[in-house]
Amino acid sequence: MATNVATAGGEAQLTNLVNYTLVKLHVAMGLIFFIIVGLMGFLYSLQLDGIYPFPGIEFLSAGRVRMIHTAGAAYGFLVNMFTGLLYWAVPRFTGYKVFNEKYLGGFMFIGLQAAVLITVVAILFLGMADNVEWGETPWWLDPIIVAWLLLHGIQFGAPILKASQKAPLYVTGWYISAMLVWTPLVVFMGNFIPRFWSAGSGAGAVQSTFIHDLVGLYVTPVAWGLMYYFVPVIMKKPMWSHGLSLLGFWGLAFFYPLNGVHHFLWSPIPMFAQYSAVFATVAIEFAVTSVLINFMMTLRGSAEVLKYNVPLRYMYTGAIFYWITCFQCAFHVTLTFQKVIHFTDWVTGHAHLIMFGTFGMWVLGMAEYVWPRLFGKETMYSKGMSEGAYWLLTIGVIAMFVDLTAAGLVQGFDWIGLNPWIDSVNFSKPFWYFRSVAGIMMLTGLFMYAMNFYKTAVAGKGLEAQLRESA
Amino acid sequence: MGKMERFPFIVLVAGLLFFLFADFVSWALPIYVLKDIPMKKVSDLSAEAKAKNTSAWADFEWIARNYSEQFKKYYGDVNEESFAKALKVGHRWYVAEGCWNCHSQMVRPVSNETLRFGIQGVSNTVSYPSEFQNELQAPVLWGTKRVGPDLIREAAVHNIDWQVAHLYNPESTSPGSNMPRYPWYFEKDEKGNIVPNERGIGLLTYIMWLGSWEIKPTKEWALK
Repeated sequence: MATNVATAGGEAQLTNLVNYTLVKLHVAMGLIFFIIVGLMGFLYSLQLDGIYPFPGIEFLSAGRVRMIHTAGAAYGFLVNMFTGLLYWAVPRFTGYKVFNEKYLGGFMFIGLQAAVLITVVAILFLGMADNVEWGETPWWLDPIIVAWLLLHGIQFGAPILKASQKAPLYVTGWYISAMLVWTPLVVFMGNFIPRFWSAGSGAGAVQSTFIHDLVGLYVTPVAWGLMYYFVPVIMKKPMWSHGLSLLGFWGLAFFYPLNGVHHFLWSPIPMFAQYSAVFATVAIEFAVTSVLINFMMTLRGSAEVLKYNVPLRYMYTGAIFYWITCFQCAFHVTLTFQKVIHFTDWVTGHAHLIMFGTFGMWVLGMAEYVWPRLFGKETMYSKGMSEGAYWLLTIGVIAMFVDLTAAGLVQGFDWIGLNPWIDSVNFSKPFWYFRSVAGIMMLTGLFMYAMNFYKTAVAGKGLEAQLRESA
Repeated sequence: MGKMERFPFIVLVAGLLFFLFADFVSWALPIYVLKDIPMKKVSDLSAEAKAKNTSAWADFEWIARNYSEQFKKYYGDVNEESFAKALKVGHRWYVAEGCWNCHSQMVRPVSNETLRFGIQGVSNTVSYPSEFQNELQAPVLWGTKRVGPDLIREAAVHNIDWQVAHLYNPESTSPGSNMPRYPWYFEKDEKGNIVPNERGIGLLTYIMWLGSWEIKPTKEWALK
């Protein structure tokens, strides 16, 4: 625990601990990729609307663009953003620098961007994709990604290990330590076992475990770890309950990896695996609720901060979306609900609420907190752009979620009703048009957010906080 | 309690122990349960199609007859090797185009799916493990989203004529369809006709192979 740096003169020490360049580079690239994958998603939605602007062009075929949307969101956007924010948070809560900033840090940065660009070229131009959802990277690139993740483990594992030898770790440390072990294992498992050591239903079981584990054992632990760091720092008070933090972490660690097979219910995977996945999924919602209670009780008495502090508002908005997603999941994971909603846009809405609404909002909030500090400023360039982006993103993602959920019900019942297939397409069209409009809102919000970032970075001196905003 | 907050304990218990337990339940045990189903290579699938003279084999011969120039150029003669090659090429591009993002390959035992995706009396079975236990389902192509219909019984639903026209321009056979056109799977022959190229022949063979194992006896016979 970083008791040594919390004393007087700590700020100078903290500054030396963090390599600002690496944070800046990763966060900036993450934001650029966020916009790119958002545009890709929007393009794909135009195909569903029947107004695709590039018909008949091979490398811009909607099916390929869709894979860039998902793979890019994972590796381009989330990994970049998370890595950048870890470069900020890990040294500050452990009190130690990362393993090696200049060589390993630089190499990891270039390696990650290269991996993403190779994926884009391979999928769009070479027709080399892998039919593992969220593992669309061509299979020959996956060993490189695993190697990158092992380096990532050394980079952030070193300071955590050092801190752990002195005193028990803070919550963030638990999540990050476990994630550093899980992620390379998950990526290896999901990309190699279905291809080389199994097929069919067995491969399906591995793939579903992979889809869920990449969310549950990479994205979720990093995101919650960072939340446990940033929320108390911004509010300047500790988490409400240490016991609930423990419960949340160990609940996640035990139940999350068991959830995967719920992606293929009613499939030829043996039923015991399907039942255990349903059971574990319902169980994990209790762990999630305990985490949410902890965060909400931490907010108690300080809720006014949300009015002025946009980063914190992003984080709590995301937390509420997280709980909605998980609550929804406890129901739609059951075999009964799956009869209707499996294969429909309901699932797409669910995925967007968790990936954009929760993890997207969280990293945007955290990045907005970190960004001015990286440039020696106290606030973002424009409060108006900050607020505008927040509301556009929030309303946009809620609109998309509600719209796709409704579309999913329409599609599901239409299919059960044995109407001609084209009916379900025609009935979905209004929902798909509306989804594109929601996408435009979200993209506008992202552009506004990015413009604010750019202006903050290049602004001269003078971005000083009002007393109220620094609450 | 203090131990639970230390790096080694977290890494060993949460990172490895829980993870391995979950993987054991989620997929290692299912793979073990399914281990006696023989794993087929593409060459086995091809030999099976020829031996049983399935509809996929008949459709392959149809392609060779109708697009003889292109077929000769890219695949040579109709035999097990060329069929296996066409399946591989087709599967590769089916994956590369992201077909599996909008078309599933799994008929579930619920929601009237056996009625929708099969032909009564010819093929109305639920998806079962052994039909996926082959090289072309590694990784498996079940998919997670349907914009278009399921394809695992496609051989029983549309004939090859329909598939050719649909792949070139989906709206020609399915008015209102929002599937993209795939003109790069076609080329012009000497007379200026638009015919499938190497990838096109592969993709058509692959699509017409999907579910062909369910059609007994062969389609021509059934239709008469």
